[in-house]
Amino acid sequence: MSNILRRIEIPIILTIVATVLQVTPYYIEYKPLDDAANWINLWVLLIVAWATFIGPLSLIQVHGKTVQRRSSGWYYSVIVLVATVVMAISGLPLQEWGLGTKNPVYSWLFTYGQTALSGTMYAIIAFFITSAAYRAFRAKNIESTLVLVAGLFMVMSNAPFFTAAWPGFKTIGDWIFAVPNMATNRAVTIGAALGAIALAVRTLMGIERGYLRGGGD
Amino acid sequence: MGFIDKLQDIDRRWVYLLTWIFVLFPLIFPLGLPVPIQSESTKWYNSIKNIPDGSVVVFSPMYGTSGMPELFPMTLATMHQLWSKNVKIIVVTFWAEGALVFDMLLRQMDPSAAPYNKVYGTDWINVGYIPGSEPAMRAFGEDMAKTAPKDYINGKDTKSYPIMAKINSAKDVTLIVTIETGTPGYPEWLRQWQEPYKIPMVVGCIGVSAPGVAPYLQSGQVSAMLPGLTSSAEYELLINRKGLAIAGVDAVSMSHILVVLLVILGNVGYFATRRKS
Repeated sequence: MSNILRRIEIPIILTIVATVLQVTPYYIEYKPLDDAANWINLWVLLIVAWATFIGPLSLIQVHGKTVQRRSSGWYYSVIVLVATVVMAISGLPLQEWGLGTKNPVYSWLFTYGQTALSGTMYAIIAFFITSAAYRAFRAKNIESTLVLVAGLFMVMSNAPFFTAAWPGFKTIGDWIFAVPNMATNRAVTIGAALGAIALAVRTLMGIERGYLRGGGD
Repeated sequence: MGFIDKLQDIDRRWVYLLTWIFVLFPLIFPLGLPVPIQSESTKWYNSIKNIPDGSVVVFSPMYGTSGMPELFPMTLATMHQLWSKNVKIIVVTFWAEGALVFDMLLRQMDPSAAPYNKVYGTDWINVGYIPGSEPAMRAFGEDMAKTAPKDYINGKDTKSYPIMAKINSAKDVTLIVTIETGTPGYPEWLRQWQEPYKIPMVVGCIGVSAPGVAPYLQSGQVSAMLPGLTSSAEYELLINRKGLAIAGVDAVSMSHILVVLLVILGNVGYFATRRKS
């Protein structure tokens, strides 16, 4: 019995059934089919809810080992573990016990810890972008000159200082945005969609097995 | 190596220091640089202004704390305009931190106070974060109360609120307002809500996401887009409520001036060196 359950055909059949159920209601209007697709969709929510536990467990496992072995930077792992445990406990949805997202400890850590740190990490990008623009925008040949000119116009069209000085910056920036950028993005989107269709067909035919047992038979 | 030659190879630490000065200075000493109002913010403003009375709007803060510096000002401004109108608002997020971001908004503006005077549960409801990304968005569109059985603010049955008496699914929604940084975001809204139910949608996003929205703007699937802090500042001027974006837009101008200056200097240095060699 266990050998039958371990057969590779079972997950492939499950994949085919789930996929066909999701795709066909887009093309055929038939209520039972639609209901079945919605039913399967709810399963996904359940699976995702359970998968949520994997994140903290994996985090505790990885950082717990780092602390245990006193590996390089182990004290940062201690901070991660303490923050995870404190936020997880104080944020538990038990309002009658004073826990949850309105708990003062949770709220303080979120507002003055996470928000400030995340904002700082995001703001650091400004330094890298400025440095990268300075080094990358060089008129070394025709192609790089095109990138330089387009890049500069986009920068200037996004800064009120320049558009107030000369509205033409905005007009040129808008044209770059709405014509070459849009055409390129559309090509990328359509290309990616065609690739996704090809991958789906390969998966449905059982050729693409990367998601099964690491791709082996 | 002469001074001009060195211009093409300024140490990155000097670049970082200059960036720091150019951004920090206008934040401490506001310069009051002009902010011309452009088409993006006007379209966004009009999209919300033209919502008919009694309509149902789904408002979704689809970002976490890292997106707050750029997106929180437009979130505040948009909620100000929405709460100033006679529309029903359903707040929902598919980002874990989205609900907490909206909590921070509620600490800064009280919808029950003047000039809004909105009643929770009657004029608006917050169902909070729904895990499950795109499948959750689809499920919420099919049946809101079933997917979000309890509201986020009081933890009571969603269906027990008067606002939900006539709102069951995405079919009852007039406009989607999503403010976001990544996945799930506008592509998922397009696939699960905009296209199947033909609901107009407006997208507020960080500046770097804007080029990706362009094809959907042209196709009409996205009615309006509000990209980044500059557009937020223009929008604040349109609603006559100067806030965080106006405070930060001088820093945007100054940092962009620095980029332009550095690029020009780098190229001057590059051409000077090339001419010599």
